[in-house]
Amino acid sequence: MKEKIQRDIFDYFSKNGIENFIGVPDSTMKYFIEQGLEQKKILITTKEEEAIGIGAGFCISKSPTIIFMQNAGFGNSISTITSLIQLYEIPLIFLIGWRGYKKNDAPEHLGFGKIQNQLLKILDIPFKIMSENEWKSICDWSLHNLHKNNSCALIIKREHE
Amino acid sequence: MNRKQAISTIVKEVGNNPIISANGFISRDLYEICDRNQNFYMIGSMGLASSIGLGVALKNPKIKVFVFDGDGNILMNLGSLTTIGSLQPKNLIHIIFDNNSHESTGGQPTHSNKIKLSRIGKSVNYKVFNIVSKKELISNFKKIINHKGPVMIVVKVNKSKKVSKRVEIEPKKIVERFTNSLKIHSS
Repeated sequence: MKEKIQRDIFDYFSKNGIENFIGVPDSTMKYFIEQGLEQKKILITTKEEEAIGIGAGFCISKSPTIIFMQNAGFGNSISTITSLIQLYEIPLIFLIGWRGYKKNDAPEHLGFGKIQNQLLKILDIPFKIMSENEWKSICDWSLHNLHKNNSCALIIKREHE
Repeated sequence: MNRKQAISTIVKEVGNNPIISANGFISRDLYEICDRNQNFYMIGSMGLASSIGLGVALKNPKIKVFVFDGDGNILMNLGSLTTIGSLQPKNLIHIIFDNNSHESTGGQPTHSNKIKLSRIGKSVNYKVFNIVSKKELISNFKKIINHKGPVMIVVKVNKSKKVSKRVEIEPKKIVERFTNSLKIHSS
């Protein structure tokens, strides 16, 4: 996804009520994170579950939060999502980098890239795939979910040839 | 001193401040001893009590936030110590009840007796205190929690034969009560 759009997405969320951006970086969202780091609004954690824990603490303090991660980290987080986020009905927006979207990604990403969307469906987490043309309405959709107390996920594809 | 005795002693000094308690017997003991709106019982997601506590502490800087953790729990999320040590929340009191075991799952051993949790705490910039007896706990606890955080208190406890009842409150309700109590506390 283009640098400018990634930076715009960060600013859009920041202007529309998201107070915290926590997670573990992924190259698919490099500029999104860079934009946040420049504004000192990013918290990078040691692993994704930790980010979700801190995010839960923010959320039960009424402070809206986005958790960003690579899809491998989403895999690490599944039991935290079921036994904390879904069990307590704590709303978060997950921003997930879709590694292994194309077969030309590094081999370690291909396995998870294949099952990622099925897992989101099994977990009953509504998700949308980010697009350069419709990013604003997709962000609005996620904010709407958050306001209704629902968690959801946004996916950023790795599209390099 | 067993964990339940330690928790009973500590809750008397916590006042209206929030407590985030780790899953398993720690939350069950707290629930049985002193159920209150300011308790966030983390019944699943083992390891994350300190992370949830960090989030609450950062968003409520004027309130002292207590984490009731266990040795098995913190060993599962040691990275959390490095994040807390880096961010230096002044209002976070991180208590680790160390019984050197996964008591909730049948008392299997952890490695906490082979390493020094307190040294790890020191090296990541916590203020660290060790408590080994009820007498020490009673005479020192008040003083210790007046230090600027992050404070780590490693409380050595024995295993106990009695098991507390499960937390019976619906998780959604736990959140509701807890969030409202923060609002009241900070207003």
